[in-house]
Amino acid sequence: MKRYFTDIYESVTSIVGGMGITLVHLFKARNDNVTLQYPEEKWPRPERNIGFDHSSYNVIRSRLHVDMDDCIGCLKCERACPVDCIKIETEKSPVRGEDLKEIKHKGVTSNGTRKALVVTRFDIDMSECCYCNLCTYPCPEECIFMTGGPNAKKHPIDYEFSEPDRSDLIYRFAKKGAKQGLAELNAKQDAEA
Amino acid sequence: MGVVHGQEMVLNIGPQHPATHGVLRLQVKTDGEVISEITPYLGYLHRCFEKHCENVSYEQVIPFTDRCDYLASMTMNFGYVVAMEQLMDIKVNDRVQYIRVIMAELQRIASHLLATGVFGLDLGAFTPFLHMLRDRERIIDLFEMTCGARLLYNYMWVGGLSHDLPKGFVEETLRFLDYFEPKVDEFENLLGHNKIFVERTADIGIMPAEVAINYGVTGPNLRASGIKWDLRKDDPYSVYDRLDFEVPIGLGVKGTVGDSWDRFYVRLQEIRQSINIVRQAIDKLPKDGDVHQSMPKKIRPPKGSIYSRTESPRGDLGYYIESDGSDTPYRLKMRSPAFTALGVLNEIAGGWLMSDVLAILGSLDIVLGEIDR
Repeated sequence: MKRYFTDIYESVTSIVGGMGITLVHLFKARNDNVTLQYPEEKWPRPERNIGFDHSSYNVIRSRLHVDMDDCIGCLKCERACPVDCIKIETEKSPVRGEDLKEIKHKGVTSNGTRKALVVTRFDIDMSECCYCNLCTYPCPEECIFMTGGPNAKKHPIDYEFSEPDRSDLIYRFAKKGAKQGLAELNAKQDAEA
Repeated sequence: MGVVHGQEMVLNIGPQHPATHGVLRLQVKTDGEVISEITPYLGYLHRCFEKHCENVSYEQVIPFTDRCDYLASMTMNFGYVVAMEQLMDIKVNDRVQYIRVIMAELQRIASHLLATGVFGLDLGAFTPFLHMLRDRERIIDLFEMTCGARLLYNYMWVGGLSHDLPKGFVEETLRFLDYFEPKVDEFENLLGHNKIFVERTADIGIMPAEVAINYGVTGPNLRASGIKWDLRKDDPYSVYDRLDFEVPIGLGVKGTVGDSWDRFYVRLQEIRQSINIVRQAIDKLPKDGDVHQSMPKKIRPPKGSIYSRTESPRGDLGYYIESDGSDTPYRLKMRSPAFTALGVLNEIAGGWLMSDVLAILGSLDIVLGEIDR
């Protein structure tokens, strides 16, 4: 008999207690609503002011981007990638450190390194990417980075990149026609020699 | 008068079932409402983690450890780097150690919030789940501020960290803890002392201490059975020996020691202890120290093997690494705490009712990514 009434008492008090919290939230928590109407409003990106040189730290995960004018084709990012989503092919440049206007190849990077190689293929499959950021650290020219954050000046943030076809998620960064152009250039040089 | 047995029926729960917390199939033999045997079938989330590690270099293993226990990625990173540092005999400085402890404990809070929240959700309590996810979101925001990622961090590296703490992280964390500490009491009142929740969990799925030990169950599940075993206290790694905290154990407040309610309550108390640890670690955090100081240029451990264990939110997380002196591990084995927790399910859920199975499974807090690997 006693058990019967304590059960009723406990049920009522615990439900009243729970509903009390709900009631408090009904009035108090209205001001800090946590649900966002996503496409219309977006969650603010956290402030990335991190007290040290931005160029050596890239604290953001979004779409990978490569500045091809700075890429020297050292393959360090390809080797660092744990899922092998970066594919690079390079060919020897006929003239080291000089521009090749025919294939829009720049001879010197913005850091002043003279390039010995022409990158004929630089594909990143973003559908395979695991966003671990490991490829961005070893890059000697800081040309591969995740968009936005400290790199917003180089490239605005891009984390909403859905495509109707999976193959559209393969981003090809190498200059178009670089491979063919280089072959023609080499053939021309051979003919001259 | 003997017990009347009805016809035995085999029922499959899962693999696509919200209450199995992932892709797990439970083959349940039932006699009416009563469970006679449960067989868990694994392998639906098997991604060849251990075999794959033999083909990637030591630093490339870290993103894969993230994906094993995706609810506690920081502690998975932590366990791996502790093992690697022991193997390579690297001493890391105090700043790195304290930052790691802060991250691991914040991760523990986040993981336990999800565990207790989803446990309530399994039993039909929807509101606490939303409250807990709301606060977990703030922890994830802290992680995003630190390393850019919200779930799979790749933050702890062998010999250091990928980044130092950002400006304002400490203040933001303290603000969060001040906000969060009273919320734990609220959760306890909202869910833990709710009569319906107590009726569904107290005295249900009792795991006696000897069963837990025999099956190798660790972590909060073992502590709920009344055994004070916490690697942070009993086999301290990193700087846990310099921090002062208590190890909560199950006392059988609402029912028997080792019941589902105890497993829930131990997790809730561990959240309180983790808040305490984070506060202490922030107090002791050295102002200077390079987080890249002791990072080796090339990770090539000497020939040999190591077994190292750390306390993840789910229990003893062990890494066995066999090195042949090359760039890639010869063999990497992970001892996953959730696997043993799932193993004990048949032992403790037999004889209970169908609806209790989900309560018991929820109280064990399993993560399938870690079980299948």
